[in-house]
Parts: sequence; C-alpha cells; structure tokens
Amino acid sequence: MIRGEKTIGIIPVGTVPNLVLEIVASNIDIHLSLPTEILSMLAPPAAAFDEGRQQYDAGKVLQAMSSLGLERHKKVVAICNQDLFVPIVTHVYGEAQQNGKYAIVSLFRLHRQSERSKQSSLLYERTVKITLHEIGHLFNLFHCEDRRCLMHFSSTLEDLDATPMFFCNYCDHFFKVAAVR
Amino acid sequence: MNDKMNIMIVDDEVIIRESFSHWFQKSGHLVETAASGIDALEKLQRIAFDVLFIDIKMPGMSGLELLEKVKAEYPDTFVVIITAFGTIETAVEAMKFGAADYLLKPFKPQQLTLVMEKLVQQKKLACEYTYLKGHLDRITRFDNIIGQSPAMKKIFELIPEVAASDASVLITGETGTGKELVAKAIHAKSKRHSNPFVAINCGILPDALLESELFGHQKGAFTGAVQARKGFLEVVSGGTLFLDEIGEISAKMQVDLLRVLDEKKINRVGSSQSIDVDFRLISATCKNLDDMIKNNTFREDFFYRINVIIIHLPPLRKRKEDIPLLAAHFIEKYRQETNKHVDHIDRDAMKLLTHYDWLGNIRELQNAVERAVVLSKYRTLTADNFSFLNTTGNAPSRRRTLQENEREYIRYILEESDWNVTRAARVLDINRVTLHKKIKRFDLKRN
Repeated sequence: MIRGEKTIGIIPVGTVPNLVLEIVASNIDIHLSLPTEILSMLAPPAAAFDEGRQQYDAGKVLQAMSSLGLERHKKVVAICNQDLFVPIVTHVYGEAQQNGKYAIVSLFRLHRQSERSKQSSLLYERTVKITLHEIGHLFNLFHCEDRRCLMHFSSTLEDLDATPMFFCNYCDHFFKVAAVR
Repeated sequence: MNDKMNIMIVDDEVIIRESFSHWFQKSGHLVETAASGIDALEKLQRIAFDVLFIDIKMPGMSGLELLEKVKAEYPDTFVVIITAFGTIETAVEAMKFGAADYLLKPFKPQQLTLVMEKLVQQKKLACEYTYLKGHLDRITRFDNIIGQSPAMKKIFELIPEVAASDASVLITGETGTGKELVAKAIHAKSKRHSNPFVAINCGILPDALLESELFGHQKGAFTGAVQARKGFLEVVSGGTLFLDEIGEISAKMQVDLLRVLDEKKINRVGSSQSIDVDFRLISATCKNLDDMIKNNTFREDFFYRINVIIIHLPPLRKRKEDIPLLAAHFIEKYRQETNKHVDHIDRDAMKLLTHYDWLGNIRELQNAVERAVVLSKYRTLTADNFSFLNTTGNAPSRRRTLQENEREYIRYILEESDWNVTRAARVLDINRVTLHKKIKRFDLKRN
C-alpha cells in the first residue's frame, strides 16, 4: 500500500447501490493501492441542475462538493445516477479537476446496451474504469495516446469497453510518483 | 511530432471558454482563450497557435470575419467554427473561408475527439510537407540563392550550364548581391565538387601577402617564412578558386595570375621549381572593369582570360519581386537561430521592405531582418520593427552621380555603425584600409 495518512473518499450523490460503491472502493485498493472510505450520501445539488438540458452540470457538482469541507481525504470521488454534462458537450461519463481534489462519475449512461448488456458485471467494470480514469486526472495524469491504457480518452461505450483496466507503463510510473507525494 | 496542440478558444461566453479549456487541458494541450476577435488577433501576434476554435456569433467582429482574417494572415493555423445557431449555409460559408471543420454546440464527445484526431493528422501532414518542401528548396535553390524574378531564373538556368564547362567565370554585381553563393553553386554542380572550393577576398590582403597566400613560399623566402608552406593554388588542386574583389589586385599580381592560367604551373615564392596546378577560376567584382581597363588600372589580356563566361547579378532594387521570398527566408533562418517565436511579417512591413532601395543589397536586407527578429517582442514583424531603416533618405536621387551615391551610402553605413570602421567595412564588404581611403577621399567626417 502506498504510504499516506489520507484516503480516497467515495461519496454517493443521490441514491447509488451500495454494491457499486463497494466494488469501486475495492478496485481503487487493488489497482491503485490507495486506501478508501465510503462517505455519507450527498443530495444532488439543485444549483447544478440545468432545466433546459435536464442534466446536471458536472462542474457545478464538483463546486458543491468542494464546499463540504472534506479535509481528511486526499481525493474525493462522487458516484451518481444523474446524467452529467459540461457546457460544450452533450454528456460526460465522468469529470475531474485536473490535479485537483474532486471528481464525479455518472452511472446514467453506463447501463446502455452492448453485446454483453445482460451481464451486470459490465456496468461495474465500466464504472470502475471511469472512476480509475478520473482519479488519474486528480493525480495530474493526462489523456494517453496509447489505446491500451486506462488514461486513453473514451468518447463512446465501445471505446470504454475496449480500454483495459490498467495504466500503460508511462502513466503507471507518473501515477506512482504523484500518489506518494 | 508531438500530438499536443497549441489551442485558442475564441468565444464571448466565459462558461464556454472555461469548459473548452478544462476539456483540452486533460489531454495535455496548451490552451489560451480570447473573449473577442480583436483579443484573438492580438494574441495571434504574440503566440503561434495550431488550432483556433471560434464561435461564429460574437459581438463586434463575427466568427466568420475573424476566420477570414486568420486564414489571410496565418494560413497554417487550423480553424474550427463552433456555433449554437448552425445552418448548412453558414457551415458551407465557413468551409469556403478555409475552416478545417464545423461543430454545433453542444456536440457529442466523440465529434470533438474525431475533429481533434483529424487536426493532429493534418498537422503531421503539414509538418511533413514543410520538411519535404524545405528539402526540395535546398535542392532547387542552389544553396540559399533565392529568387523568382526573371533575372534570377535566368541565372538559375545558367548555373548548371556554366558548371558543366571548365571555363573561367567572372561574376559581377554590387556588394551584397550573392556573388560568392553563385560561385559556390557553380562549384557544387561541377565535376570538381568533391575537391576544395577556396575563396579569397583580394581586397583584404596586401599584395605581398596575397602572393604568398596564392603561391605559397619556400622556407626562408622572406622574413618570417620559418617553414615551407603550400599556397592556395596548390591547396585547391582539382577544385575551384574563387577570387573576390579581383578589381583590387595589383598589376603585378594580374601578370602572375595570367601566367598561371596560361601555363597551369606555379612557383612558390623563393623557389625556382615549377609545380603543376589544376583549378577552375571564378572571379568576382563590384567594380566596372571596362572603366578600369580604359584607365589602365586593369590589364585587358587578364580581363579576357578571366571572363570567358560572365554572370551579372542584378541589385536587389532591380528585382523587388524577390524581396518577400528573401525576407521570409531570413525570418525563418533567424527564427531558428534565435529560437524566438517570430514567424510572420505584416503587410505594411513587407511593403516597406519592398519599397526600400537596399543599397547594401541582400546582405543589408539580411542584417535588417536579423535585427528586427532579435528585437521583436511579438511573433509578427511590423513596420515599427524596421524603423531603423532610413526610408526617407534611402532612395538615391536619380540626379546624383554614382560617386555621390557611393559617398552618401558610405556615410550612411558609418553613421549606422557608430563610426566603427571595422564594422562598417564588414557591412560594405571592403577592407578597412579601403574604407579609410574612401573616408579621406570623400572627406567624410563624423557629425
């Protein structure tokens, strides 16, 4: 385990199945060697809801999280069931502050159909990949050009399903360097 | 090539600018923002961007107006038009003005990804094109001789023909017109190209030293000749000897060289033993040798021996169409040498350069561009960067005699050099002794 007193906080925004939170937590531990703590639920912030788009502004949710005063945690990842957007694009699966503290992952679009749609494990796998990817951004990793790297940007679920659950050697190195700081 | 791009977002809505910035920063791109077309153009003057994302609907300058200006001034910069009010017509119009792509807000993440992948690919192709074009230019421009004017095109055609023969060549033209470059190009294209090219400026060396440099000397031939030394006529064996400022050599040296050209043999100073030599002679002068022959200061037989083929290089003011090409070439040269982001020149500055008379020809233009690049704080050179050029007093009056013009130009260069004779002589491409003589002859005094 990477040394450090502070943990990764996992915070459900709205109602999120506990199993999803547990799976995310254990995968952060397994893949990133970082300790986690599941926190109490946060109600979806009303100020982040966009009436016109009927979606939540991911940036505004992150702002709301930053006012919670989660000092004990090194980084905090929210998991939600709401559809998220950032102003320039129709939707996002997740959003993170580059080299910052807060990130959010939405399950909303991860349920969508695929050849393996009947396997509920696919939803968990996608959720974990997005979560680990966003944590990568929190540790200042950028999108990676290597398609066989977790930090490769996935704009569709097909891309996401084709992305592995691990970093390439370079991103892994930079992650470890950033994580021990 | 690195896939990271230098991007500018031009949108009047702060939320859109921030959203774009966060999006691209996650991929490691460098992102700058501008709230208006004016703001964007100001930033473009200072920073080189790969891509601009421009909102079509902005107060003041519209996105399409900005697109038009960007493509006119910075044709290598990609522009992607973004709008929430898109129609096929505006898309067609944007593409007609040179936009690389078109996006409707809000767009799907995969659309933005596809646009960026396409632009990265296009940037790679553009880099390859620039490299190959540069490579091709190096082949076709005869090592930095640049020109598209009819006069220069004729010279480009002439060089391979001249190179194929072994005849002596005389290159005439004002100081700074590139005579040595033409000589080098002839040598490079000739069958002698794998042998040495030796250039000697006859105007710099006193007669005795020139003799020793050319012919070599035996040990003890004169005071200080502590060991035997080969002269350039031996060293150049099989190659090309370039004698610049041939009009400066003494009558004795003309006779000596005439003999060498006839017999292809030399004697080292202080030696009676003949040594076979094999070289091609290319001479150059900025003087009118016909006049010198009339004045008995240049031998007619020597003149006919050295000018079997004559090439005249026109002064820069007679081929002004070459100035933009040359200016662009020197900007690129000094951009690389100084590692500064100066890669553009605006229309007013180019107009100024094109209308200036360049009495010092290409060398003066090169020095002017170097000075402008070194001192520029922005990526685009403007007329202000060339304010040191004396545009009012530059154009020589057509009523002035050649001598008056020479006097005026020397005075101008001396003032520019703060009366540092060594520096001024270098700019004028004459030796210090000659410059001192001219200062005395023209009665030039520091103000």
